[in-house]
Amino acid sequence: MNISEFIEKLEAEFDELEPGTLKPDTNFRDLDEWSSMHALIIIALIDTDYDVTITGDDLSSIETVSELYDIVAQRVA
Amino acid sequence: MNPFSLAHKTILVTGASSGIGAEAARMISKSGARVIITARNEERLKATFNSLEGSNHGYVLADLTNEEDIKNLIDQIDHLDGVVHSSGIVRPFPIKFIGAKQIDEMYGANYYGPVVLTSKLFRAKKINAGASLVFMSSISSKFPHKGGALYSGSKAALNSFSKTIALEYAPQKIRSNVISAAMVRTPLFDEAEKAISKEMMDKHGEDYPLGFGDPEDIGHAILFLLSGGSRWITGTEIVMDGGLSAGH
Repeated sequence: MNISEFIEKLEAEFDELEPGTLKPDTNFRDLDEWSSMHALIIIALIDTDYDVTITGDDLSSIETVSELYDIVAQRVA
Repeated sequence: MNPFSLAHKTILVTGASSGIGAEAARMISKSGARVIITARNEERLKATFNSLEGSNHGYVLADLTNEEDIKNLIDQIDHLDGVVHSSGIVRPFPIKFIGAKQIDEMYGANYYGPVVLTSKLFRAKKINAGASLVFMSSISSKFPHKGGALYSGSKAALNSFSKTIALEYAPQKIRSNVISAAMVRTPLFDEAEKAISKEMMDKHGEDYPLGFGDPEDIGHAILFLLSGGSRWITGTEIVMDGGLSAGH
């Protein structure tokens, strides 16, 4: 897994996002479409595809795509 | 005689290792009934057992998604005057992440367990005439939430199951009802809060005129449904939501 694969996966799950919108330093909350549903989708995606548990509190504690990637990369080991 | 008394009754409580099940078991024991408690986690189940008032109570370890465990549990039960089904799980699954595995997990814990246990208790003639069955359900069975397709569906299925018991066992005066609860401060509440963040949970709480519930609040309704005081109530639900669904 690397961060660009990870970003591709995230973008694929968010139907409204144009490919290429997400960058490692993108702040989730700055996205116009950001909602509670996206948090649920991120949690479920990471659980399904990486077998890693992310909580809502984890998401509250981070802001950017790369911070999310770091959590997953750390826990997948 | 006090119509609300539970004296001389034997009540089975599932999911008794924590939350509503544990609190209900303690409250039932205080009301003078004999309680048999069951759950999967031995350490926590024993902790509940040790907190029961009075003697003569029992505990049986069981995973209710396992047919052998259900059989063993039923073998250790003589006769019951009531069952409180409070075992269950909550996990959010957005629709596009639902597959056979997620369905099995949710319906296994929330539907298969209580349904198969009840069915086999009846088959084994372990449920006395006049008994009362109480199922913990959720207001989400009628008002689902995002990510709640499987959870709310499993509880809606349980509501229908309870009504069917009410119809089939009315001749024996056996009653069955559900309690449709909103958010109650239990370990599941803490899990849900972690899943969606404390910020969102606090915001949700603002919609409750009476605030979130406590296990004891639900316990009071369970005591009532188990007692003869509710003898004309069957096949229905008691909504306990601190006023959430009244409007705002």
